[in-house]
Amino acid sequence: MGQEHEVGVEVSELTVRYGDLVAVNGVDLTVAPGEVVGVIGPNGAGKTSLLECMAGLRTPTAGRIRVGGLDPRADRDQMTRLAGVQLQHTTYPPRVRVGELCDLFAGFYPDPEDPQALLAQFGLSEHVRRPVTKLSGGQQQRLSLVLALLGRPRIVFLDELTTGLDPAARRQVWEGLRARNDAGLTIVITSHHMEEVEYLCDRVAVLVQGRLVACDTVSGLIDAHAGETERLVVEEAGRARQLRRELEELGEGVQVTPAGNRLRVEITVPTQREAVTALLDRHQLTGRRLSASLEDVYLALTGQRASEDGGDDR
Amino acid sequence: MIGKVLGFEARRMVRNFPTMFFGLAFPVMILAIFGGIYGNDPSPQFDGHGTVDVSVPAYSVMVLAVAGLMSFPLGMVELRARGFLKRLRATPARPGAFLGAQVGVNAVVCLAGIGLLMLAGALIYDLRAPAHPLPFLGLLVLSAGAAFGLGLLIAALAPSETTAVVLANVVFFPMIFLTGATLPREIMPTAMERISDALPLSYAVRALQWAWLDTGGDELPLALGVLGATIVVCAAVAARTFRWE
Repeated sequence: MGQEHEVGVEVSELTVRYGDLVAVNGVDLTVAPGEVVGVIGPNGAGKTSLLECMAGLRTPTAGRIRVGGLDPRADRDQMTRLAGVQLQHTTYPPRVRVGELCDLFAGFYPDPEDPQALLAQFGLSEHVRRPVTKLSGGQQQRLSLVLALLGRPRIVFLDELTTGLDPAARRQVWEGLRARNDAGLTIVITSHHMEEVEYLCDRVAVLVQGRLVACDTVSGLIDAHAGETERLVVEEAGRARQLRRELEELGEGVQVTPAGNRLRVEITVPTQREAVTALLDRHQLTGRRLSASLEDVYLALTGQRASEDGGDDR
Repeated sequence: MIGKVLGFEARRMVRNFPTMFFGLAFPVMILAIFGGIYGNDPSPQFDGHGTVDVSVPAYSVMVLAVAGLMSFPLGMVELRARGFLKRLRATPARPGAFLGAQVGVNAVVCLAGIGLLMLAGALIYDLRAPAHPLPFLGLLVLSAGAAFGLGLLIAALAPSETTAVVLANVVFFPMIFLTGATLPREIMPTAMERISDALPLSYAVRALQWAWLDTGGDELPLALGVLGATIVVCAAVAARTFRWE
């Protein structure tokens, strides 16, 4: 697929309300053509509502969405040929085999991919004749991806795609998506899996209680929200009470947490770094640095609020 | 595309054991049982009509009830409750095509089930020819409309697969046992006949028996009215309450 076919998304001031509850609150988000954008955030943050609006399956309360220049709801016919969708709660009807479901979906599109080849690519070849309802959770997820890709979409919306997949299957899915992205497929994916987002996504949008609190590249997010924090693990230091006390006495910007025979040291004020290193040297111990990850960003941006008001999946 | 959808729903139907059994095999089985007991000789219980001649139009309504009140609504709800119809909205297919295909495959079950009944009746028990063949076909279509309309109403009102099964059963069993579709009305005491009079498919049974045997023609306008009203009311309520997801 050539560059000229790549499709982007523009979301401006999107709001979704369910009664009194505001699921998505004034979100602006742009997905460039050919980009992979991840949406992360706690349960109930509005990820699914946002994704379903972009896919044209939900009517926003307010705001404007364009996918490749189309209004996902008003231009439904063109939209369905442009976009592939994998939803979180789809299960498939009983008394149907995997191959039959694929043939049905292939029949919806003018120029579908070969279902057999797609099933093979995602490790489902041997299940072609199995009833769909007999597939494991991970197999159903991969089947959902196959169905999303069958119509040769230019953009896919994937809602928690790899939930229930084992690590090998997950890697297979990621590589399949990466290859398609290289060929021009735009991808919007929600996830709770930071490793997945780091592996796949060019940019990451962080949603908290319906608001977009950050949107940047993974390293941009880490620099902005977790770059200052330095984490050290000091081995064989569990009994070094003296060290622990001295570290705690350094005051603001240094947090010490004992973990078994280890000591975790978190330095949030960079000027304290030298003092910590000096202390460790005096006790003839060294700290192993843990690099900041997207998870630190996630926790920094959502952690506090997630513990106050989490668990409501929407 | 509609061909693909029809093929898809047809395969699911062929594997749907309850519908296949109760729509195709069961009516023929009970025809064989009662035909075996009573034969098809003129019977005083049925005003001189043969048991099999009375039973074939009645059991036809049983077939319509199996397809329209059970198989059709449960088929729709199992597509909707699993999020499948919602998923279809993200494809070029129309969920309405699946509603149409469900009606289509269940209509085929009706034709096959009633065809088998007539065939068995004719081959084994010397079933008489219908008195009014064309009106019989017309009344069959009208009766099917009432059964499928009630089925659509069940699909519209049931929020989940479980409630759909409960609701379908609650409607289905009175509709086959108290309408004359299985047990003849002639054996019912007055109180039960009253209940029978309140069930729309009773009128389907009587109208079809008129068309086959030419009895009770004076009740025909009432039957037409009740069946027609059932269709209109069900369609109106279902149109307001049916949800695609």
